[in-house]
Order: sequence, then structure tokens, then C-alpha cells
Amino acid sequence: MDEKTVRALRAGIILAFIIVVISLLIYSRIMAYSLAPQSKPVDLRGLPIWQIPIVYLIDYFSHGTICLLFAFTVAGLIYEFVPKEAITKYMGSGRVAGYGLALGMAPFLTVCSCTMVPLFGGVLYAGAGIGPAITFLLMAPAANILTILLTGEMISWEVAGVRIIASATVALVAGIIISKTPWGKAVEKEHQVANAAATAKIELVKPPLDERLWAALKFAGYLAKQILPFFILGLIAVSYVEAFLPEDIVGTYLTGVTGILIASVLGGPLYTPTLVEVVLGKAMWDLGMSKGALLSWLMGQPYDVANALAVSRIAKWKVVLTYMLIAWAGSVTFGLLYSFLSGSL
Amino acid sequence: MKEVKVEVIGPEPPCMRCQAVKRVVERAAEKLKQSGIMVNIERANIMSKEVVQKYGILVSPALAINNTVKVMGRVPSSDEVEKLIREAAE
Repeated sequence: MDEKTVRALRAGIILAFIIVVISLLIYSRIMAYSLAPQSKPVDLRGLPIWQIPIVYLIDYFSHGTICLLFAFTVAGLIYEFVPKEAITKYMGSGRVAGYGLALGMAPFLTVCSCTMVPLFGGVLYAGAGIGPAITFLLMAPAANILTILLTGEMISWEVAGVRIIASATVALVAGIIISKTPWGKAVEKEHQVANAAATAKIELVKPPLDERLWAALKFAGYLAKQILPFFILGLIAVSYVEAFLPEDIVGTYLTGVTGILIASVLGGPLYTPTLVEVVLGKAMWDLGMSKGALLSWLMGQPYDVANALAVSRIAKWKVVLTYMLIAWAGSVTFGLLYSFLSGSL
Repeated sequence: MKEVKVEVIGPEPPCMRCQAVKRVVERAAEKLKQSGIMVNIERANIMSKEVVQKYGILVSPALAINNTVKVMGRVPSSDEVEKLIREAAE
């Protein structure tokens, strides 16, 4: 066989695998097979302590594997095939383009946290200014492909949709406000570089299709390896929450206006690793948390402490505090609005 | 002996995938030494003013060969890197 046939064959096999993964998800949809764990708090309560996480994990993975496989595969594919060069080129070009790309592209570029802070720095330096940089930073963790897919599959697509819209609005508002504050402007001035990208060239090489597909799957595997250990630890914690958190506490404190306030405060500083906030949110929702509080909880992600620390190394503390405050206010506002509109306050 | 400059561009401290890229480059460099190409591997900080001034916004990990970014946002194979360096050496 010559090289061309081998490459075509390899690409075919990988494509077939991807199609199988996607059809599995579609099949589960058609058969109305739930991809979220089925155990109810009552089922877990009667078990001995050491059995609770085991039963919950088995339950979760017997349902959620398809969803996770799909989410990681799609994230890998999108990340590999998204035209990075075009995006990075326009991101630094001007304010409007910067805001637009920050909102539109953040979800696709940042499934891996190691790209997020560097991109934030890049956008800031390259002349688009602090506004789009902040927008990008807030949009990225709140609405990346993995979290949205998981929110949709495990909780509901309505909540996932509202989460995207709410995050985008808050990110945009925070960006615009910070670019108007004196301390925001100071950071911008300090970091701006004169005529960026003037001396060197970018000529990306495109590898053949089979290698790109393989790289996409490899990246999916890498993501899974990074995230799954924390995810499993998170699930163990969630199983105990389901088993031991009494419904009347959730009913009293996590519904209504108080619920939204408490959920929004818990969502941030209580640093939950990526994706666990979705499962934990679902657990508390099962126990009776209101929809609005659930949204506030999910939106708490961008102002968590770990993120803020990484950013404060580039931007000043004042900027970080301002955006955390705006993000928090946004999560409360949208929590209230969503409760009000869906009639579940 | 020809010399080629290879910059591995990523955040400081280096992320996992940037370290993977560096290992790939080191492996390719080892091989290229035998065919008379010296590879100078440098690490560049993606968030430094110098790098942004030179290349603009990049997605990490990125790889620049003789001051031209050839790869970004992915980990190339060592065969691919070897080929790219050979082309640059010509």
C-alpha cells in the first residue's frame, strides 16, 4: 500500500469511531435513555457509608459514559479544527472585533485551562485592550464546550441555554465597565505593545487529515486525563451530599431570593473543579434547589479564587476585584430574572 | 554544521502540553544532530511583551522555527518537527 492509501484508511477508521460516538448519543436521545444518574437521595440514604460513593459512581458511569465520551471527543475535534490563526489575528485588531470574537470564540478555544490565561494576556497586550480581554476571561470557563454539553445532558438544555446567554451578557458588561474604570485603563496602558506582530511571521503548517483527526482524539484523551480524576473525586463528594444533605435545609436555604444569594456566594469561592459544579448542581436540584438558584450556582464559576489568582499576576487586584464583583452581581441578577420568568421563585 | 533556532512558546510555568512539545523537539534535535543540523532549543514565555510584540496573540503551545511560527495550539509529532527543521535548514 502506498502512503496515500494508508492515510486515507487511517482517517476513515478515526472518522468511523467519531461517527459511532455521535450516533450513540443520538440513539440514546431517540430511545429517551437518560444520561444522568438515576439514584435518588432516598436510595443512597439506607446504604453503609463506604457503599454510597461506589453505588453512585456505578450509577453515574453506567449512564454518563456516553455523554462524557461525546463531550470529550467533540471538544477535541472542535479545538483541533477551529481556525486558530484567523481568530488570534482578529482578536487583537480592534475593540468591536475583540468583543465579538471573545464572546464567540472563547467557548471553543479554551477547553484547556492552560490556554486561557495566556490568551487573556495576549489579547490585552496586542491592542484590543482590557475590555475584550476581560470578556474573554469571563466567557471562557462559563460557557466552554465541555461544560455546556454536560449541563445540557445532565440538567437540561433550557438551563444550558440560559447559562450561555447570561454568561455572555455578564462577560460583555464586565468588559465594558472595566475598560472605563481608571484602574482598568492603567493596566491597559502598562501592557500595550506598539505595533504587535510586526517583526515575525506566522506560517502554520497543516498536517494531513488523518494526523489532525488523530491529534483531536489524542487531545480529547488528554483532557479526559486532566479532568476525570477531579471529576471522580467530585462525584464521590456529590454522592455524600445527595445522601446526607437533608431536603428541608435545601428547601429552606436554596430556594427563593435567599437561595439565589447563597448559591451565588457558594458558587465562586467554593472552588469546584471543572464539570463537578454541574453534577453538584444537579444533586442539589434533585434535593429541591430552585431553578434560579441553580443558575446562580452554575454562573459562579468565573469568579473562583484559583482563576482570580492567575489573572492577578497580569492585571491589578483592583481589576480582579471589580470583575469578580460584576460577575457575582450578574449571577444574582440573572438568577432572580430566571426565577421570575420561569415562575419558580 | 547548520544551525536552526527553535522556540517553544508557552506560559511560565510551562503547561503540560508545552512540556510535551519541548520533549518532541528534543527528540527531533537528537536525530538531526547526526545529519549535521544543530538545533538550538529556546523557551519563550507567551505572556511576555517581547513574544507578543514579535508574534502577536498565540494559542499555546506554539513552536517557532527560525522566527516563524509553524505550529500552534497542538502537539506535533517528532517526525513532523524533524521535517520542519530540515526545511528550515536548507
